[in-house]
Formats: sequence, structure tokens, C-alpha cells
Amino acid sequence: MKILEVNNLSKDFGGLRAVDNLSLAMEQGEILGLIGPNGAGKSTAFNCIAGVYPPTEGTIRFCEERINNRKPWDLCKQGLARTFQIVKPFSSKTVLYNVMVGSFANTDRKSTARDKALDVLDFLHLADKRDLPAGSMTIADRKRLEIGRALATEPKLILLDEVMAGLRPTEVDEMVDIIRKVRDSGISVFLIEHIMRAIMALSDRLAVIHFGKKIAEGAPKDVAADENVIKAYLGDEYVVS
Amino acid sequence: MTRHQLQILSLVLVGVVSFGLPLVLRSPTYLHILILLYLYAYLTSSWNLVGGFAGVLPLGHAAFVGIGAYTSTILSLQYGLSPWIGMIVGGILAVLVGILIGLPTFKMRGAYFALATIAFGEGIRVMVENIDYIGPLKLNGPRGLEIPPLKTGLTHFMFAGKEPYYYIILVMLILVITITYLISQSKLGYYLNAGGEEPEAAMALGVNVVRCKLIALAMSSFLTALAGTFWAQFTLFIHPKSVISLDMSFEIAFIALIGGRGSIAGPVLGALLLRPVSDFSRIYFGDKLPGLHLIIFGVVLILVMLYQPRGLQEPLTRAYNRLLDRLTGARAEQALGRSRA
Repeated sequence: MKILEVNNLSKDFGGLRAVDNLSLAMEQGEILGLIGPNGAGKSTAFNCIAGVYPPTEGTIRFCEERINNRKPWDLCKQGLARTFQIVKPFSSKTVLYNVMVGSFANTDRKSTARDKALDVLDFLHLADKRDLPAGSMTIADRKRLEIGRALATEPKLILLDEVMAGLRPTEVDEMVDIIRKVRDSGISVFLIEHIMRAIMALSDRLAVIHFGKKIAEGAPKDVAADENVIKAYLGDEYVVS
Repeated sequence: MTRHQLQILSLVLVGVVSFGLPLVLRSPTYLHILILLYLYAYLTSSWNLVGGFAGVLPLGHAAFVGIGAYTSTILSLQYGLSPWIGMIVGGILAVLVGILIGLPTFKMRGAYFALATIAFGEGIRVMVENIDYIGPLKLNGPRGLEIPPLKTGLTHFMFAGKEPYYYIILVMLILVITITYLISQSKLGYYLNAGGEEPEAAMALGVNVVRCKLIALAMSSFLTALAGTFWAQFTLFIHPKSVISLDMSFEIAFIALIGGRGSIAGPVLGALLLRPVSDFSRIYFGDKLPGLHLIIFGVVLILVMLYQPRGLQEPLTRAYNRLLDRLTGARAEQALGRSRA
């Protein structure tokens, strides 16, 4: 089953076309990576899928259901969770509180939400930090908390927007392990990332966009050898022919 | 004694003192001051459901006080309905008005929301000041409405002494604090806090932020309107400047900010500190320096914002917890010290 299907998606901001005729499809249980230079439209594409912006054109299907103008909170309850590139923790609240907000998506009972949140914190090795205020944590922990809150909503598909940016190499390795574990628990992962080492190792398939258009798609090593991709990242002179 | 038992004991102590106070305190002046203190603690606690938990700053809550006061007064003066029934009707009316105000304004952020609520509050006051009749209902414009003290007793919500009013507002205050506590422990409380702090993140986690805020505003305006009826029955005279005044809206916000927005104890602590300042400065300086209490409010607000930006509730809670630790954990600490040595 296709978990996510994006067909001819375009998004305009005034005269600027941020996403241009983008088509993507994702199988269930897959890790799909999305890369591209800064300003290529990656986050905008994410925001359209997550219901933050209504698409200008095209259709988005999630679990074979059209979700074009659905609101973020409804999508979340259907099983589509996301993280933010710039982390947005509820800073004055504890880590546990933050994750519980997520786990309330599937229950009205506080004790159930608390149990679910504690499970997620265990899964992410954050359990010992559960009583710290989220605002006092390091960036690596805050990125992890972002994932934790999203996981607590019990998603089928999770959109990860640069969860490794700003991390040290060892922390990147830990995050790669976490994302693998997330996929192994049956959740499909769609991620944007700039750290090539990580995204090459993680992704089953990789899509590249540039100026809102998809310029390549396929297995990571094929994409890395693609002429258009090298041009987009390094400029015309670097193409070896 | 365990920590939990101590907490209950201190709550019971506060309860006994507040219920027993009128037996000791015979002066009507002091009772009056206490009643106003509880009234403001009640108003601020009701405000806190939106202004504290939902993270917005509404500055027009006096409008709901006015709706409550006018509704119950008109119903009892013109139709002979008990103010208790009018109280509920006023509450329901306030909910409707609150939702009408909330629908457009909750799309705004920060200062714009605050300004819009001031505009709504003032708009309602100006309307009431300029309307003598709505159909058969007599509002009496700027002259206000007087409630003749003919029949006293519980059903008429009118008493000769101040003690019954004291107990009524005390019970109302305890109820609103209980409601606040229950909400803070519920899904709605989590969602309100989340939506107030980071709306975008909250939405992505399944929170319909605007709907949660509307629910909070509906509850807040209902509870606030009940205080309006109390005010009317307590003073027996209402006019637009007394029950729909901007000063009242501001004072509620002052108390909340100084006591601690979004906490349960904050509104009560804020009222405990600020109401006596307001009353005593009026008693002692009222003839020579009118308005001094507002200057004192301002100074206190600046000091608190500089040194305790989350309100007085925070250091006081810490002190209270430390006291509990000392009382309960003394023995445990000694044991720990010995094992270290």
C-alpha cells in the first residue's frame, strides 16, 4: 500500500513558486529522504503535506485518502506526525509534559497518556530527563524530544525536518539508530536532511529537489552520481564527464 | 507525618481560618475588604482559565461582569426572578457573548488580541451607557440600576449583614479554584498550555488550538458573569462605570501578572497582596492623593516583573516545598548525613 502519494504538487507564495509540480510516492515501512540546496522548497513541501499550507495545485494522498485541505490536528489524529526544523518545545514545561501533549492525541485519560509518554521516553533514552524543563535541554535532546512528541501521537508516517542539524557526529550516529528503530517499529519515515553521511546511510530511496522541482530520485548511490544533482550542489564546473 | 498529610493539613488550616474569620473579625469594614479580596481572587481565577492557561491576555473581562450584573438585576427588578436564577441566565448570556468575541479575536496574537478585547469591553460599556431600554428591558443608561433592599434572605440573595456575602463568595472562590485545579490536570489543561506556548507545535500534535481557547473562554466568561451577580447583590447599585469599567479589567490582569499567570495559587496570592494595598491606600490617602493605589500597583508590577517574571507564586511555592521538605525529610536527611560521614 502507498502510505503517501503526492501528485503534481505546486505551492505559490505570491509570485514565487516554492514547490513546482512535485510528485512523490512512498511505500509503507519505507525511509524516504528528501534533499536539496537551501531554499529548494523542502520544508514548504513538508508543510503542504502536514496541512500547514493548502497546496496551490495537485493532490496529496495519505493512506489512499485525499488530504489536501485537512487541518494539521486532524491529520495528526489520522496518523501523520511531524517535527519542526526549528524545534518548538513547550519550554516552561517538563519533558514528560511535552510528550504527554502528544500522547493525548489517542486518549482522554491522563494516566494512559502518561504511560504512553513514559514508553516513548524509554524508547528514546530520555526517561531520566523527564522532570527537566524542556527549555533547559541541549539541542540534541531537544531534537530528540521533538521526535518523542511526534511518536507519542502513534503515527503511521512521521515527517522529520532536519532532526540532525546542529548535532555532533556521535549524536548524529545515535539519531540514525533512533530513526532505524522507529522504522523497525512499523512507522514510515520521510525525512529532510542536510547531513549527507546520515541520509545516505538511512534512506531506502532519495529524492532531490532544486528550485521547487524534483531533479532526481532513486537509490542513494545513484542519486549521488547524478549529473543534475552535482550541478545543483556544486555548480556546473564540477561535473566530471 | 508524610508530605501528603502535611499538604492536606495546611489546606484544612487555611480552610478553617477563612471560614472562622468572621467569628473573630467583627468590623464590617474589614469584612468588606475581605469580601472584595475574595471577589477579586475569584474574578482573577476565572480570568486565569484564558489569560493564564491559554497564554493570551484578555483585557475586557469586565464586560462579562457587567453582563452578569445587569442580567440578574433586570430579571429580578422587572420580572421578580430570584437573582440565583438570573445568575445562571447571565452566565449563559456571557458565554454567548464570549464566543462571539473569541471567534474573531483568537486569530490574533499578542498585543493585537489584548487591544481587541479592550475594544470589545469598552464597546459594551459605551453601549450600555447610551441605551435606556432594550425592548421592554430597562437598562437606564448611565444612571444605572438600584436594587431596593426590600426582601432579605437566601432565596432573594440579599442580607442585612455582611457575613452571608462573605460565605457565599468564599464558597464560590473554593469552587473556582477546584475547577481550575481539575482543568489543569486534564487533557484540556495540557492542550491549553501547549497551544498557549507554541501554537504551531501544538497543532501538529493534534491540538485544535482555537477550539480549546474558545472552550476556556466560554468557561471563563460564565464564571466571571456569576461574580457580576454577586457584585450587584452585594452593592445593590450597579452602573456602567462600576461593573463594566476598564479599571476592573486591568486590575484583574494586574493581580494575575503579579500573582503568577497560569498557576492555581497565583490569582489568590496576587489578590492577597494587591487588594489590601488598594483598599488601605484608598482609606488613608483617598482624600489627599486619590489614585495612589494605581501608582503603587504599577511600582509593584514593575518590581515583580523585574525580579520574578513568573509571578510571586513561584518563589512562594518553592519556599512552601522547602518547608515541607524540612518538616518531613528532616530524619531522612540526618540518616543520609550519617551514612556520608
